[in-house]
Formats: sequence, C-alpha cells, structure tokens
Amino acid sequence: MSDLPPRPAHLVEAVLLVSARPISRSDLASATGLSEHETEAALASLAERYAPESSGIVLRNVAGGYSLSTNPNCAGAVERFREEARPAPLSGAAHEVLACALYLGPLTRGAVSRVRGVNSDAVVRGLIERGLLTEVGTDRDVPGSPALLGVTEGFLAATGSASPEDFPPLDSLVTPEELDRVRERLTSSGTEGEAP
Amino acid sequence: MTFEPLGRSLSDFTVELDVYSGPYEWLLALILKDELEIFEVPLRELVESYLLSREPEAANGLERDTDFAGSAAALILLKSRTLSPALDAEAEGGEEEPLSPEELAGRLTEYMKIRRAAEHLRARFASNAGHYPSAHVVPPRPGRLHLRPERISLAARQAFSRLLEPPVRHLGPITVTLQQLAGLIRAALAGGPVSYESLTSEMDRLNRAVAFAAALSLAQEGSLKLSQTEPLGPLTLEPSG
Repeated sequence: MSDLPPRPAHLVEAVLLVSARPISRSDLASATGLSEHETEAALASLAERYAPESSGIVLRNVAGGYSLSTNPNCAGAVERFREEARPAPLSGAAHEVLACALYLGPLTRGAVSRVRGVNSDAVVRGLIERGLLTEVGTDRDVPGSPALLGVTEGFLAATGSASPEDFPPLDSLVTPEELDRVRERLTSSGTEGEAP
Repeated sequence: MTFEPLGRSLSDFTVELDVYSGPYEWLLALILKDELEIFEVPLRELVESYLLSREPEAANGLERDTDFAGSAAALILLKSRTLSPALDAEAEGGEEEPLSPEELAGRLTEYMKIRRAAEHLRARFASNAGHYPSAHVVPPRPGRLHLRPERISLAARQAFSRLLEPPVRHLGPITVTLQQLAGLIRAALAGGPVSYESLTSEMDRLNRAVAFAAALSLAQEGSLKLSQTEPLGPLTLEPSG
C-alpha cells in the first residue's frame, strides 16, 4: 500500500463507487474534502477515463448528480450474470402519464385522466411500483386533497437527464402548422352538419 | 368479469408480448388475478399472434377459434371498462355539456403535445437503457469510527477543566496524605483483592475521597487493577500481576 496521499480523482472515484444513487457535486466535494475546482477537475478526469468507448463503466451526470454505472454495451453480460431480464419496455399509456407528470406536474390522478381522456389510475399505479412516479404532495384546493404526482430521481436517471429542464419545452414538440390543422379540422367538422 | 372455461383447446397457444411471454391461458389467469394490468396488454398484437398460430385444418380448429374469440371479446370488454373516462365531480348526477369546437380543439392540442412528449420519452428511455448503477453499497459500520487518542485527551481536558474553584467550606481539615493512603491500600492488597467499600468503611467522607484518588494513582502507575462489573457497581482493588 502506498503512503502517498490519494489523488483527487481517486477520492471522487471511490465515493462514487459506493453510492448507488447520483451524488451532487457539492456532496462529492464535502465527502472528499476537495475544493469545488478540484472536484470539477476530478470529474473531468474521470469522465475521460470512463468514456463509453474505453471502459465497461461509464460516468453519468444524471438526476442532479454523478454516478458510475455499467456501459450499456455490456448490458447483456450484466443481465446474464444477474440472471435478470431487462425490465419490459413501458407502454404508450405509461409514457403519456409520465409526460403529463413531467410537463404538467405535479398534478393529480384525475388531472392525468382528464388530459388523456381515459382513466389512468392503473397506469399510475404501475409507474409508482416501478419507481418512476411518486406522490409529491396533496392538492388542498380540491375536496379530499388528492395526491399530487411527480416524476422521480429514478425517472431522470432512466432517461439520462440531469434535471426536468433537460427536456425540450412542451410547446416545441408540436409545430404551429400541426395545431392549425387540428383546429381547422375540428372547426370544419363542427360546421359540416349546419344548414348552408 | 369472468371468462368462460376454455376447455384446454388453447393450451398450446403461447404469446410473445412486451409485457408477458408464455401460455395464453396463464396470461388470462394473471389478468384475472390483477397481477398484470389489462391496460398494458396490446390486444391487437394478441389477436395477430393468434391468427399467425391458427390451424383451421386441425380437428379442434373451430373449437380453438371459438374459445379464442370468446376470451378475446372478454378482454376487450374488460379493457374498455378500465379505460372509461374518470367521472368528474361536476359531471356526476347530470348531463355533461358537450364541448364547443374551441374547447375540444384546446383539449386535443394539449393531448397532442403530451403524445409527442410521450414519443420523445420513449426515445429517451430506449437510448438510456442498459445502465446498471454501481451495486457496491457499503453499509455504515456503527461504532467502528477511527479514534485519535490525542483528540480524546484534549476533549477530556476541556470537559473536566474547571473555570471556578469549587466551594470547599463543607470539607473538614485534611488530616491524611495521598502517600499515607497509598501505603494503606498496598498493605490491604497484600492479602488479596479488596473492595473499595470495605477498605473505606471506617473512613470519613474526605478520607474516602483521598483513598479513591490514591487508588486511581496506584492504578495509573500499574501497582493495582481496578475492576467494576457494571457502571456505579462495587469497585474492587486487585493486586496487579
């Protein structure tokens, strides 16, 4: 064992290894006793060492922090070793509910169902079980104070996002032309039945 | 909701879906036991899967088709009931007002955006799949902290240092020295272990305190050992070695 003091990157690497959750930059600095600048430099060094093309482990900046995880290229081997199949992909309904929570949340189950036009309770239940959705509070303005739903840290990690701001604005996902076409279609269908 | 008995004609029909892979009969059982959300089962894929495996020339072909049509119809009914819009409190007990084209356009626009966002999320999930976080979570080890003796000494000095001299008016004149009591203790220990209580039973309060100090001093220099089985329990002085 060397008596030399560990290098900053080694300290950060060691702390990241023992955490299954992303660790914020400030928490890393606090745990390692490094300055903000040293922590930054250490993370840059680790990002280079754990680049996907050169390592089976990758450094990810997700959910407001940093974490070490396996390289997706090695996922097959990891899954065989753990004797676990990859979780089943989410259904279209599940993606819609998550989109509601991400862009319109926190919102109640009823609000999700109103946006989607169908009862979404079962989908919400499944997403909570999978750790992608959680109850973040209650809506005290509504009788019964229903729970408010929001996306979780696990959701951000699963989508490779550092924060909810990482997603494109909702309005940018549909072009004005597309919206105009919907309005025109509805307006014309609404007047078709009227007498000339 | 119940399914009619299938008569085992579909026992050899297996399905491969994202949410389930295995015998069709088990799929029905899982749905009925609420272990699989009917929501998540793509019925169209299910029907297509059956059509691919259909054997019209088989002896029980008609029976299979009938059983599948019956169970698939039940699944469609179940799913459609689950998908029924949630009742709004305001709509309960009365006719819901039909939406104006503008309101309908507003709702559809919002839904359209959510649909696009859902497609975007699907791509994000897919491109980030296969990351498994570090599993090396080291549990904390309570009571195994690294202790530095010099820090403990410093803390003890700070804790026991007195800024004010304690009042001693209640104490009588000191008539015995530490050395005298140390000699007394050594003599008592010549006969073996002795309890502090018996050693000091004839002493006044002051002499007991000095005897305790003498015992501590002897223990520190290694001349005797102090043993106490429990906090505030009887103290025994034992010859060392």
